[in-house]
Parts: sequence; C-alpha cells; structure tokens
Amino acid sequence: MTLAFRYRPIPDSLIARWDARWKLAAILVAAGGIAALNHLTSAAVALALGLLLLVLARLPRMWAFSRLLLFAIPTLPFLLVLPFTLEGEGWDISIPSFSAGANWSVHVSHVGLSAGLAVFCRGVTIGALALVLLGTDQIHHTFAAAHKLKLPGLLVQLTLLTYRYAFLLADEFRRLRIAMRTRGYRVRSTRHGYRALGHATGAMLVRGADRAENVTAAMRCRGFTGTFHTLATFRTTFADVLGFGMLVAATIALVLWDRAGLS
Amino acid sequence: MTQHSVLSTQHLTHRYACGRIALDDVTFALEAGECIAIVGPNGAGKTTLFLRLCGVLAGKPGQANVNGLDPALPEHRKKLPEVVGVVFQNPDDQLFSPTVEEDVAFGPLNMGATPTEAKSRVAEALNSVGMPNAGERVPFQLSGGEKRRAAFAGVLAMRPSILLLDEPSMFLDPRGRRELIGVIRALPGTKLIATHDLDLVLDTCRRVLVLDSGRLAADGPTETLLADAELMEKHGLEVPYRLRR
Repeated sequence: MTLAFRYRPIPDSLIARWDARWKLAAILVAAGGIAALNHLTSAAVALALGLLLLVLARLPRMWAFSRLLLFAIPTLPFLLVLPFTLEGEGWDISIPSFSAGANWSVHVSHVGLSAGLAVFCRGVTIGALALVLLGTDQIHHTFAAAHKLKLPGLLVQLTLLTYRYAFLLADEFRRLRIAMRTRGYRVRSTRHGYRALGHATGAMLVRGADRAENVTAAMRCRGFTGTFHTLATFRTTFADVLGFGMLVAATIALVLWDRAGLS
Repeated sequence: MTQHSVLSTQHLTHRYACGRIALDDVTFALEAGECIAIVGPNGAGKTTLFLRLCGVLAGKPGQANVNGLDPALPEHRKKLPEVVGVVFQNPDDQLFSPTVEEDVAFGPLNMGATPTEAKSRVAEALNSVGMPNAGERVPFQLSGGEKRRAAFAGVLAMRPSILLLDEPSMFLDPRGRRELIGVIRALPGTKLIATHDLDLVLDTCRRVLVLDSGRLAADGPTETLLADAELMEKHGLEVPYRLRR
C-alpha cells in the first residue's frame, strides 16, 4: 500500500488516448454523482463501472490494487460500525458469556449493513476513478487540462511544485533517517526517540523553507510573474466527446435510478 | 563601465535585513564574451552578488549595470531574464517542473514564446548540453551531472547574453565535471562563474576576481592570481595542484 505516484510509463489504452480535458471533466462528474448515491445496489453497479474503467485503463494490477486499498481503508470503519448502530430488521447474534446465567446478543441490522457496504462501494469506486485519471496520463498533462478547464493557473503551478518537491523532500528525509540510523538511532517510544524525530522533522521544514526561497529566486530569474504556461496541447475528437457523453450519461442514469428508490 | 563592458558594478554594496554586510564597495566590469571567475571562501558574497545582478535582491539604483539595465529598477528588472541567465548552486532548486521539457520551456513561455517556438528552443538547448533525448524524463530521476546539464539547458533556452554560474561543479563526479567544463567552454556569451573549484577556473577563465567578506580583494589574470600562495592563503583558498612548484 503506497501513496506515491512516481513517474512510470503510461500503458497504451483507450482511456490513455482520451483527451485529458474530456477525461477529467467526465471523471469529476462521475465522482460527484457516485458520492451522491444512497442505495447499495446502485453503489455496487457504480463499483462495477469503476472497476471496468480500471481494467480498460490497463494499469499494472499490483500498482492499482495497492493504491485502491488506500481508498478502501477509510471506509472500513463505516462497514464495521453502521450494522451495529443503525436500527431496523436484522439478525441477533449470540455471544458466549463467561459469567453464569448471563446471555449476550448483538443486533446486526440490514439497513446498517447495507449503508456500510454502500459507503465502501462508493469509496472504492471514487478511488478507482482517481486511479484511472492519475494512471492514464502524466500528472502535469492532467493539471494542464485542469487549467484549460479554468482551474486558476497559480493553483496548478503550486500543485505541480508540491508534487515535484514532495519526492525531493521524501528523499532528503530518507537520507536524514539513514544518517540517524548510522549514529545508532532506532524508532522507540522514548522521550529521546520523540525528540530526535521532532528535530529531524524540524530540520526538514527548515530545509523546505530554504528550498522554497531558492526555487522562487530561480523562477523569478526565468521571468515567472505568476502566470502558468505549459507546452501541453489538446485536440478533441469525436471519440473524446463520445467517451465523455457515455460516462456522464451512465452517472446520471445511476443517480436517477438511485433517487427513484431503485424501482 | 568601459565602452565595451556588458556588465559592471560601481561601489556595489548590499546589506541584509539582519544588518550583515554581504557586499561592500564592489567595483568591476566584464567585456562582452569574457569568462571570469569569482573565487573566495564561504560567505564571501558570491551568491549575493549574483542575486543582486539578476534583480532577485533589491538594492540601490546606479550600483550595477547589466547590458544597459539597472537590476534595482523595477521596470528594468522585468527585462533582465532575457539578458542574464543564472545557473544556481543546487540544480534541484532550478528544476521544478515535472519533466525536463516543461522545465526548459518554462523561461521561453514566460517570455511570451509560442508553444511551437518554445519546443524548438527546448530541442536546441537540450542539444547544446548533450541531452537531446531527455525531454520526457523526470528531473527527480536524473543523475547529478544530468540535472546540472538540464539546469543549463533551462537557462540557455532563454538565449541570454550573460550567464552567471553559481558553483557549477558542485555535486559532480569527475566525469560530470569534465563534461561540465566542455559545456562551459562551448557556451556562447559572457560568463561569470562563482566557484571554489580552482582547477575548473584554470580550465575555463582567463581572469579572476577574489572576493572575501564582501570586498573585492584582487582582480587579475587567472594563472598569476591563483599561483600567488600568499594571496590564496590570506583569503581562505589554496594554490591549485597544477600551479604548485
């Protein structure tokens, strides 16, 4: 399980060839619609759709699975808690008790289980859509597309800088950790352990601030005035519009079906 | 400033907000096409001098002239990136875009070049540093030498007439250093190199300025100054091995 989206070759697929602007717009609409689903059945259909897109994207299986877990884990508490906290019809499960004469039972409601599973399906589907978006194009191309869709240039520039320097700072932190280990440091739950970790984090922040100043100077020396420019070019084809239309139509159909009570 | 000088300073002084004087009465001039080294110990003021010359640090008007522009004047400062290019000490500070191509195109696009024109400048700049196929690569995954050359390309794409190179051989292995010397020699225009690497100075510059505690301590021919053991020792430097008798 990992968060990193390091540079790697983009596998050729229908989705990789989809114009980044239309793809971004369609996936944003789909994510919004899926987040609004209430019922388990519609959420399960959405999950199937999300996984289908993931398969069509032809992303490396382990790469996609390990990152999908990240989206699944935050939804697990809902799955574990809602069946026991929401009222309604369901099953009573007896729990053996150590004290004589006492009889414990836990009520698991259908409604709660269904609500928990719906949250799980929605979370994983949105994760799958995010992976489709991030895995089928270079990140700077996706953000250039966001800029074309009127996301402010400064925000795009800041996001790209954060993306670039996150790796650099992570690498510096790794070197710092190695330096600490060579001097006998091991992560322990002691006062000294926490102090050392605090100092290392502080050093990283100071280095980060220092680097930010240097980067600003380098950008200004090359004429940066706050406007985002990119070499990325986009061309719309009929297939791009068709892909957008299909995903948006599927999302609208799912939402309407869900709102109509799945009748 | 002489008739042919493209860069000059007149009693240039810089004081930081904390009160520390980083540059104190520095006066020198560069002729067009010259390659000059600035040497001196850490904290001598080399980087501050560069930041003043490229307009990143504000100062008093009339103390510096870069191709007819005064870096202290806001209206001149906007035009400076087209005239003066700075290659910073740490290439990671300079390579901030997700790909080498986007990074090299950053300057030309800021200067108003069209994407087509910027792409042709990128190809030209990457060719001139010997990395013609590196456009799609990610800066994070380049070696130290490649990062340095990509940073050079980013500056060359702006086609500046004056280049300021801050510790260009830092972080380089011998092969990277040799390649760098080749790149510096091949670079067109006027060059000002701040460095501790005196062997690199011997290979690339005919004239040297010695800067110490913000003051210009000496200005003269490379071999004469670098061979002066007393001068070198006094300013925290060492005579290069090649010049030792």
